[in-house]
Amino acid sequence: MFRSLRAATKLLTRSTSTTPSPYPFSNVAILPPPPETAATPSLRKGKGIMQYIHKTLPCPERQALIMRLFSRRHPERLLPGSVVAVTLAHAPTSFSGVLLSVRRRGPDTSFVLRNIVHRTGVEMQFFVNSPHVKEIRVIQRAGGGGGKEGRRMRRAKLFYLRDSPEKMSEISAGVRG
Amino acid sequence: MFKLWSSSPSASIRQFSSTVAKFATPTKDAAPKWTPNSIRTGLIARKRGMTSMYDDNGVRLPVTVLQLENCQVTANVKTVRPDQTEYHAVQVAAADRPLKTTTAQMRGHFKKAGVSPKRIVKEFPVTPDAHVPIGTTLSAIHFVPGQYVDVVAKSIGKGFQGGMKRWNFKGLRASHGVSVSHRSIGSTGGHQDPGRIWPGKKMAGRMGGETTTAQNLRVVRIDTSLGLIFVKGCVPGVDDAHVLVRDAKKRLQSLAKANQAKGLYEKVLPKGVTDLPFPAGTSELAETLPTIIEAPSDRVTSPFTPRE
Repeated sequence: MFRSLRAATKLLTRSTSTTPSPYPFSNVAILPPPPETAATPSLRKGKGIMQYIHKTLPCPERQALIMRLFSRRHPERLLPGSVVAVTLAHAPTSFSGVLLSVRRRGPDTSFVLRNIVHRTGVEMQFFVNSPHVKEIRVIQRAGGGGGKEGRRMRRAKLFYLRDSPEKMSEISAGVRG
Repeated sequence: MFKLWSSSPSASIRQFSSTVAKFATPTKDAAPKWTPNSIRTGLIARKRGMTSMYDDNGVRLPVTVLQLENCQVTANVKTVRPDQTEYHAVQVAAADRPLKTTTAQMRGHFKKAGVSPKRIVKEFPVTPDAHVPIGTTLSAIHFVPGQYVDVVAKSIGKGFQGGMKRWNFKGLRASHGVSVSHRSIGSTGGHQDPGRIWPGKKMAGRMGGETTTAQNLRVVRIDTSLGLIFVKGCVPGVDDAHVLVRDAKKRLQSLAKANQAKGLYEKVLPKGVTDLPFPAGTSELAETLPTIIEAPSDRVTSPFTPRE
């Protein structure tokens, strides 16, 4: 029934429009704008094609976000042990917690936040490229080299925090302070 | 659109494509159009790798990237079998190779077709109306985002493998007295009758390295500037292997034929697809159309909005 209704609305719109569609083989196709970097002959042969796709598939704002927060060498990258707040398009609309790990896989990059909510440990994994992730805000940066930012974590993955709530509260104490 | 054989007058109200407005049978001069009973040619591509994309509902799709490498038509095959039935096919070649590594026989074959020497030459069975002029360069525009394709390739070789991996046998228990045969096949047959093992008994042996088809993969995106086809899901073979891509036999060809015969014209092609380039999507056609085309989600509602 739904599809016949959709077809009926298409009939009504189509009977009034006279402009030829840009893509005649599908009436619901999405036509994203072509990327800025044009196709080079070596890309057409396939040299470096997957790296090119990983770079250009996310939209430019996302690419910049991935570069700034999740690359391996950027000065503003997120270090494990930071406290991060994420705003989502679906429930739960916002979640904050300690960054336990960053899984770097190009467009599939994700990170895990851990928090204690109502006396229950909760971990959430967020995919950076997902359109539901609206905003990633750093509440407290983890130490980069000691001093004001504190000692840096000596691990890339802080899964040991699952067994030591005292270390978790150490990190969260710094937030309120 | 596919109403060439429909005689009901009410069918005229249902047609919604501006490209196929006429009901008259196409004349010889008119461009050939796809019909539910036609079978188009396929393409030869290279599997480049996998990545992920998000559709308009925000659902993550794992996609395989296939790239066309100067895919050209080298011959149109027509064979009359002894029982007078005809076999029609379109021979396609892809992936340029240096002239000096091409044998003299193949050099002559490519020269006759007027194309550069290629590494792989395969043919696709088609209906007689779907022949493509020799020398045509095929493009990613041949497939419409939203349609289903079958991808055929040689699977990754696994070497000599046992019954558990090769045939999904359950093996034997890990403990409780089982001696030295935890992963073995167990019994291979009866006793005195039949007194032998039936031919075709599943046993250990070489696994993989054979031509496999991944069926009914949805095309989610095409990029004609780089010749890329993004299909949802996995495709057999290693990266940079040659794959054959053609319209899905089950979810496109037979569905179209059956629904056309039943009169369900809305279901002839997959949702959102109104027509297919016929006899093939060429590079000339690709120049007139947008470079990047994406398919919308095949779901009606978003899985992220809770249902009441």
